[in-house]
Amino acid sequence: MKRAAWFLVVLLALGLAAIASNPVKITFWTHEDPNRTPLEEEYIRRFQALYPHVTIERVTYPSARIAEVLLTAFAAGKGPDMFNLEVNDAYPYLVMGRVAPLRPEWVGYASVDSILGAYLEGTLDPVYREGKLYGLPLELTIWSVFVNKKYFREVGLDPDTDYPRTWEQMMEVSEKLVIREGDIIKRRGFDFRYGYYVEWLLAMVEQLGGAFLSPDGQTAVIGDEAWLQVLRYMQQWGPLGKNLGSPTYTPARKLFNYDRNEVTMCLTGFYQIARIRTENPAFYESGEWMVIPFPVFENAVTDVASHYYGHYYMVNAQSSLETQEWTWRFIAYMLSHPEEYLTRVGLIQPRKDLLASDVYAAQPYGDVFASDMARSSLVQLHVANPEFKQLLDEAVKAVMLQGVTPEAALATLRTKANEVLAEYK
Amino acid sequence: MRQRNAVRRGRSALATAGVWLVLGVVLVYILGPLVFMVTASLMPAMEVTRIPYRWIPQGFHWQNYWQAIRGNDGRFFFVRNMVNSLFVATTITLSTVVLSTITGYGLAKFRFRGRKAVMLLIVATMMIPFQVVMIPLYIITTSLGMQNSYAGLIVPFLVNAFGVFLMRQYLLTFPDDILDAARIDGASEVQILWRVVFPSSWPAIATLAILTFRSQWDNLIWPLLIAQSREMQTIPIYITLFAEEKFTDEGAMMATAVLASLPMVLLFFGLSRYFVGGAQLFSAQKG
Amino acid sequence: MRRRRARRGICERRGRWGWAFVLPSLVFFGLFSIYPVLNALYLSFFQKHLLSSAAPRFIGFGNYQYLFQSPTFWNSLKVTGIFTGGTFAMLVGLSLVLALFISSRKRFQRFLQLAFFSPAVVSTVVAAAIWLLIFDPRGIANQLVNTFAGTPGVDHRWLVAPGMLQFATMLVYVWKYVGYFTIIFIAGISSIPRSLIEAARVDGASVWQTFWKVTFPLLKPTTLLVSVVAMIQCLRTFSTQYLFSQAGSPRGPIDVITLNVYHTAVRTFQIGRASALSIILFAIMLFLSWLQFRVARSEEVSYL
Repeated sequence: MKRAAWFLVVLLALGLAAIASNPVKITFWTHEDPNRTPLEEEYIRRFQALYPHVTIERVTYPSARIAEVLLTAFAAGKGPDMFNLEVNDAYPYLVMGRVAPLRPEWVGYASVDSILGAYLEGTLDPVYREGKLYGLPLELTIWSVFVNKKYFREVGLDPDTDYPRTWEQMMEVSEKLVIREGDIIKRRGFDFRYGYYVEWLLAMVEQLGGAFLSPDGQTAVIGDEAWLQVLRYMQQWGPLGKNLGSPTYTPARKLFNYDRNEVTMCLTGFYQIARIRTENPAFYESGEWMVIPFPVFENAVTDVASHYYGHYYMVNAQSSLETQEWTWRFIAYMLSHPEEYLTRVGLIQPRKDLLASDVYAAQPYGDVFASDMARSSLVQLHVANPEFKQLLDEAVKAVMLQGVTPEAALATLRTKANEVLAEYK
Repeated sequence: MRQRNAVRRGRSALATAGVWLVLGVVLVYILGPLVFMVTASLMPAMEVTRIPYRWIPQGFHWQNYWQAIRGNDGRFFFVRNMVNSLFVATTITLSTVVLSTITGYGLAKFRFRGRKAVMLLIVATMMIPFQVVMIPLYIITTSLGMQNSYAGLIVPFLVNAFGVFLMRQYLLTFPDDILDAARIDGASEVQILWRVVFPSSWPAIATLAILTFRSQWDNLIWPLLIAQSREMQTIPIYITLFAEEKFTDEGAMMATAVLASLPMVLLFFGLSRYFVGGAQLFSAQKG
Repeated sequence: MRRRRARRGICERRGRWGWAFVLPSLVFFGLFSIYPVLNALYLSFFQKHLLSSAAPRFIGFGNYQYLFQSPTFWNSLKVTGIFTGGTFAMLVGLSLVLALFISSRKRFQRFLQLAFFSPAVVSTVVAAAIWLLIFDPRGIANQLVNTFAGTPGVDHRWLVAPGMLQFATMLVYVWKYVGYFTIIFIAGISSIPRSLIEAARVDGASVWQTFWKVTFPLLKPTTLLVSVVAMIQCLRTFSTQYLFSQAGSPRGPIDVITLNVYHTAVRTFQIGRASALSIILFAIMLFLSWLQFRVARSEEVSYL
């Protein structure tokens, strides 16, 4: 009922705006997502039918390349009217004034505060700055652990009781699950999601009381013991330690859906469920997979799950005010279908009404994600986060692959990270 | 004597065997990956990373090829992107060949003030890494309104310094007498260029054409920046988009790779004698 | 006197034709190559965040100073040196040997030439996809080495161990280009009069001596051309290293200058610093080519 009322408000707002009608052309760049494309193209058709003076051109890029293409375009002053990026990559655009704030009335709200109130606490923080809102979330998820139950049983484990709750257990279980030929791994127990260190590696460090940035954002790499324990763990995980996985194997989450006896567990987001369904319906139906919470260390001081991973739709500050307005209206129109995004693409908009809905409750393992989200937080954003990601990558690969000691890797990480920080002071 | 001959023959047989062995290793190194590509394209994904790898596929997994052409979204952009690639690469090749020959001829056969400076400039241009010019080039091209158009894909590559350099080196060896004879016969400079220089530069032109076509067929970064719509994109983008979500389906990935290589294979075998014959021009380097 | 003037007239008129032929390409290079480079040179004296709309801040040689003190820069320089040196040696050496061998055969000449050239049909993206599968721990690179070395199950860590990783990128590169240079060498060899070699052989020179005393000196122009082109190619390498680092390899051992430029611009957003870095690369390339041309001129082979 409440949702229906909200929908009406949006429609009304959109209707009033249609009176002024110079032709408006909106370019919209986004990353490739096979499940999302047909849905959004349908929204574009409908929106254009409602407002014939608006034309929308939707362009998709490989997700490994979109950051680069957007940067080039923005650097040249030719950015698209709207785009979405992973929040750590998007943050510099906000800080550098390249994205435009929305006006609440454009998207059918009375005030910015009422928008904040409609979303889960803190989930709009990354796009909120000095009383203005610069983005709306397309999706927000956390990484939880997906499990293939069959292989647990195969090695004599009961998936429902023996699943790993701690990182120490994760290593033990993985040692039982791994199949190798000599040094070469044919089936991994679990493997990390390398590259996305901000989400999981930092969470592991924080579990032990460490942090990447001090609360004031002035110093990098806090808490030696925590960092060293995590780096030692990674070293043990890699080919120079217990040889359980490595960044050079195919990402575990990509293999998981195929159920080909190559990975047992992987770290991934909620949307994986929808991808299992489209890529391997038989596996989806078999019920041989499940989702378990993000593990913690035995000696953890805080129980945190992986950080949020989120994409926000943003609008180019260089577009004309009229285009900005229509772009925000279009974004609001698309996002006013949270249930379809959820059921068809597996994207969670962190809206209170959605998370309280029956549709969400009916999602398999929605409860696991909801509880992990409750013990999750947003990573501390910094304009240099894209570079910090690279430094974390360097540190992890140094200990896992290159035989650098955790102490040395940590020292390098600290020096480089603080150098970068100094440049932004 | 006979014994010594036998020893020598034995030794040379050994040497020959050694040479063939080395050659065998090199051939495996060169052809192995290609054979791998073709065989893997015929296999279901599981088989591609099997230990040991089966070099002879068990049956023909044609679904890979269907998947490659159909695309992940089932919209068959493969054909359109292939046509785009062919059109863009062909146009660039034609213009490069024509402009390089004209400029190379001007540099090789005319003495004019500033010639050395021009030559230096062109040699320097050969060395510019693409990363250096990427953003300014993007600004220029988009300012000219060529975003997401064939013009945007083609215009920045109309001619390249290597082509000019190559044609100049070739034309240096072109006999002056023939040009002078044509002049005495009253031919204008443009006529000489068109009737004498072009026809007799065929081997060099063919080589340049093949090299240009090849490098354009390969171009990824630029089309990615300039061609936004799926309708405008080229084959290298198609492959990266395909690999995006389907890289785990290694078989289908390799099928895409095989299909994307087909035009080059045809060109390569069709014009193979120019690869070989055209390269002769490098031996006639002395200017 | 009059004749001389007339001749100068012809020369001038011809000179004008020369300019006319050169001009279109020159305008083109000016707009699409020279201007962007000058733009980069200009930017290299400024500090600018790639995304910032604020005006760039002039810092003189600050970016260059920063680079010369940065270990990452020296690492890139070293890594580029290793890659270029290694690849260059393998490319030129292997293609020369292959060319000599193919030229001495009577049969299979054409087949061998085509075979060695065949990797050129696949594009860089495809080549990287193939080789990443080959170097996968379960891939055929490990299988092949283990079969012949009799060491089943050993992972040779192609994409991981720094030395192996550098070697792996070289293998990919040499694979793509060796056929091309082989063909150029074959052309060079075929232009050497057979009679010279036969004469040397009749005089009792061994195959080895014949090569060093007769064939190689006569091949110098070809070798030089191959060297210039090969070196420019190697210094400009980007895709292989980029795709490998994307596929999970550590970046350090393969952080060639071009990759460093890319990261400085796209991840660090320091466009001024990235420009300075690429200007340095450009300067290195110009210097090395100048050196090679100098050598060429002293050998009485003019390329300019």
